[in-house]
Amino acid sequence: MAKGFSRRGRGKNVRYAARLDDLERALVVELLTQVRELIDPGGAAGVPPERAGEPADAFDAIVAGLGSDFGARVEAGEDADSPALGGRGFGGADRDPALDRLFPAGHRTDEEAAREFRRFTEQTLITRKLAGIDLAIAAIESAVDDRVELSQEKAVAVLVALTDVRLVLGDRLGLREDRDAQRLEEIAGAADPQDPALYAILVYDFLTWLQETLATSMLPRG
Amino acid sequence: MSIAPVEQEVTSAGTDEAVEQPWITLVWNDPVNLMSYVTYVFQSYFGYSREKSEALMLDVHHRGKAVVSTGSREKMEIDTEALQGFGLWATFQKDE
Repeated sequence: MAKGFSRRGRGKNVRYAARLDDLERALVVELLTQVRELIDPGGAAGVPPERAGEPADAFDAIVAGLGSDFGARVEAGEDADSPALGGRGFGGADRDPALDRLFPAGHRTDEEAAREFRRFTEQTLITRKLAGIDLAIAAIESAVDDRVELSQEKAVAVLVALTDVRLVLGDRLGLREDRDAQRLEEIAGAADPQDPALYAILVYDFLTWLQETLATSMLPRG
Repeated sequence: MSIAPVEQEVTSAGTDEAVEQPWITLVWNDPVNLMSYVTYVFQSYFGYSREKSEALMLDVHHRGKAVVSTGSREKMEIDTEALQGFGLWATFQKDE
């Protein structure tokens, strides 16, 4: 049974510790690896990742079975300023919407400014994300007796990497607006236990819980 | 908790002209990012107090967006990049 993160010590000696069993750690590492593959297919952007090469369809497997009507759709005539899918913008029609969420347009109305911003920042953002994900994977894999213990630096990497995974999984689950979260809960409540959609939602909820315990324990006081 | 528009605090210094700080960084609401995490990001990246960070986070949550920083375009682009690095949905624009 998993036990969420809590803080031990303070200052330079601060540690954030959680208890995650083999399956839970493997799940988190697998999802982190898939996000890495989504961001950097084949490991082309940086140091060759040890885990590249496997087909990147864990998310697809997890959300398999979600009906085609599942998830938020962009309504016709939607307000361009509305904080929905349409507003992320400028990523191009063929780009994975999850990438548009990880690397959204920097400017919502000025396409040229957004393009320029992307040109100057995206590679840095990608490099930083990959480094953070690698650090997070290594930190989780270094657990001893199911105990995951993180330094401040590793805790930040895990905290941000959990965000990246939840953003991608949330996108796959059609989470685009607050009211979509409500709908997921309803689906989870009504779902057939054999329904793969239920599994995807449970995984998402597990990651949410884990990140919440880490974020709460990391909040600076005052 | 207060949901007063926190951005008003930022412009209190030199009242001469708003021209000196015509750009802003916005964070937009999304259903994935946790309130605790968004607060953490505002505290750790900007160095804002817990109180200010929570007020900004609640602005994002309830109003759909909040102005989280004000300054030169270059600085706003740096803030936007950093916040996107944290997975927040951040954009920059001219303050209108």
